[in-house]
Amino acid sequence: MFDRDVWQEIFHSIKNNKLRTFLTGFSVGWGIFILVMLLASVNGMQNGFTGQFNDDATNSIFIRTGSTVKAYGGFEAGRRIRFKNDDIEYIQKSFPDDYVEISGRFYRSISARYKAETGTYTVTAVHPDHQVIEKTIVTKGRYINENDIRAKAKVAVIGRKVAEDLFDKEDPIGQFAEFNGLPFRVIGVFTDEGDDNAERGIYAPITTYQRIYGNTDQVDVITLTYNPDYKLQEAIAFSDRIETLLKRKHRISPEDQAGIRVWNYAEAFDDISNFTSVLSAISIGVGLLILIAGIVGIGNIMVFIIKERTKEIGVRKALGAAPGQIVKLVLFESVFITALSGFIGLLFATAILALVGPNIQSDAFANPSVRMSTVITATIILVVAGVLAGLIPAMKAANVKPIVALRDK
Amino acid sequence: MIQIKDLHKSYKMGSNSLHVLKGIDFNVEDGELVAIMGSSGSGKSTLLNILGMLDNADTGDYILDGVPIKNLNETKAAQYRNKFLGFIFQSFNLINYKTAAENVALPLYYQKVGRKERQEKALKYLEQVGLKEWATHLPSELSGGQKQRVAIARAMAAEPKVLLADEPTGALDSKTSYEVMDLIQKINDAGNTILVVTHEPDIADMCKRIVHLRDGVIVEDKKVEQVRAQQYV
Repeated sequence: MFDRDVWQEIFHSIKNNKLRTFLTGFSVGWGIFILVMLLASVNGMQNGFTGQFNDDATNSIFIRTGSTVKAYGGFEAGRRIRFKNDDIEYIQKSFPDDYVEISGRFYRSISARYKAETGTYTVTAVHPDHQVIEKTIVTKGRYINENDIRAKAKVAVIGRKVAEDLFDKEDPIGQFAEFNGLPFRVIGVFTDEGDDNAERGIYAPITTYQRIYGNTDQVDVITLTYNPDYKLQEAIAFSDRIETLLKRKHRISPEDQAGIRVWNYAEAFDDISNFTSVLSAISIGVGLLILIAGIVGIGNIMVFIIKERTKEIGVRKALGAAPGQIVKLVLFESVFITALSGFIGLLFATAILALVGPNIQSDAFANPSVRMSTVITATIILVVAGVLAGLIPAMKAANVKPIVALRDK
Repeated sequence: MIQIKDLHKSYKMGSNSLHVLKGIDFNVEDGELVAIMGSSGSGKSTLLNILGMLDNADTGDYILDGVPIKNLNETKAAQYRNKFLGFIFQSFNLINYKTAAENVALPLYYQKVGRKERQEKALKYLEQVGLKEWATHLPSELSGGQKQRVAIARAMAAEPKVLLADEPTGALDSKTSYEVMDLIQKINDAGNTILVVTHEPDIADMCKRIVHLRDGVIVEDKKVEQVRAQQYV
């Protein structure tokens, strides 16, 4: 196979038939180019979708309460369900191996004042774990910690927008702002990848707010994250288990969809990954069809080449070339051309992706790129394509009767 | 060298079959220079194709250098052609993208002769036909006579038992024809067996024996006084 003479023959024939080589190579190179671009585009869309959900941990569950719509367990419909601190402990105790972070949420709208600046904001009172669940990035100072919770400290982590509004250019860390007339010390400033709106929020220790607002142990929302290694099915099964348990605890009918609502990111993700996998299946299909067109094109050109070279093949056979040697010659040539031109198409596609990819940043499309596996698959397809495209013409060439080939009158 | 006995060949032409060779008996001794003559349709090219293993006979025996040529598969036939036969064609049939030397070396390549030896031998045979300084030229840069001489060098490169020439002068003017015949005569003088198919009487007269074919049978087989081509060159 790595006989120097065979290669010399191939290069000779390629060098002397530049147009034909170009035409053959172009169709394959083009096919591969489109296949790679297509796959990269789907990948970009996938990245785009994933990016949309990126501001929260993707393994998170949100549990909200509402009013029951079904009478159950001696209670009438229309009962307002509320979580308490012990619901959080209940989940912690029931699923010690499943949850990773857990936090309550307690919302209150407040008016804040610092010197002459005022504004109305929503305070989300939380546990320290909330930072991970919401992927809050603290740019200055620190987030709420266990000491704050225990001490019911009047401290606040404010959003970037809040800091701009209230403190203008002053450093807000360590300053006291009044929330509904009560002084809160600013301990941190955060940003959120999600959107500007989140940066208009304020975080405070949940215990502090529970005490301020009537010394309750009420919790509005429970959020938690689960083991990130969970597969989709496990994740959904987990949230189903939480729902069943909490409904039993609060005496809500298992069929009641309103009393407690468990929302799992995995479910939303399930839809998206279904969508994108259908999309990538379609694009692989389309890409392969284009490639097949390319292969047929090569086959076509190879048949033509054989016609053109019939005489030469006849001469070779008259001089003692065995059919196997003719097959080898034609086959190697077609594999060589397809592999080389496909590789060039691949290079072009990856070069374009490398140049353009990082510059595309929109909501639905981000960083289109190809995986190594795609590249390897494409290469294998190429070589197989080369063999397929060359095989029939090669067999045909080998069966050329020298007498027919040499009939020149 | 060549023994042929009762050779028949017919071609199917739609529903008819055309009986081209109707029982040829024919022997060639070592070192002979035989002209096969006949008008077109007489079967001379068919005979040459069968002799050259480019085509198979329907019935009859063909023994070449003691080896019966029968029921060969393609690979075996290619091997025998390479070992026993050298071809010279009317239209030269050089490979147009290979240089003269590469063309001459081609049969040696199929004999799996090493690269260096191939090149040496190619040059040696090109020298014999007087074209050593044209070794690196492409066929398109050569005249008709030169091309045929390259083709002859190629036919001889594999050192075959028999040279088969199909109208070797058919595409050449008379002066070049004589030059080529002069070369063929010299090769024959060196002891090579050569069969020449031609329809030109003056070319036939330059051989040592003339076989006439008509309608698929040999009508005349005579030894002749060889006319040397040298005097016309």
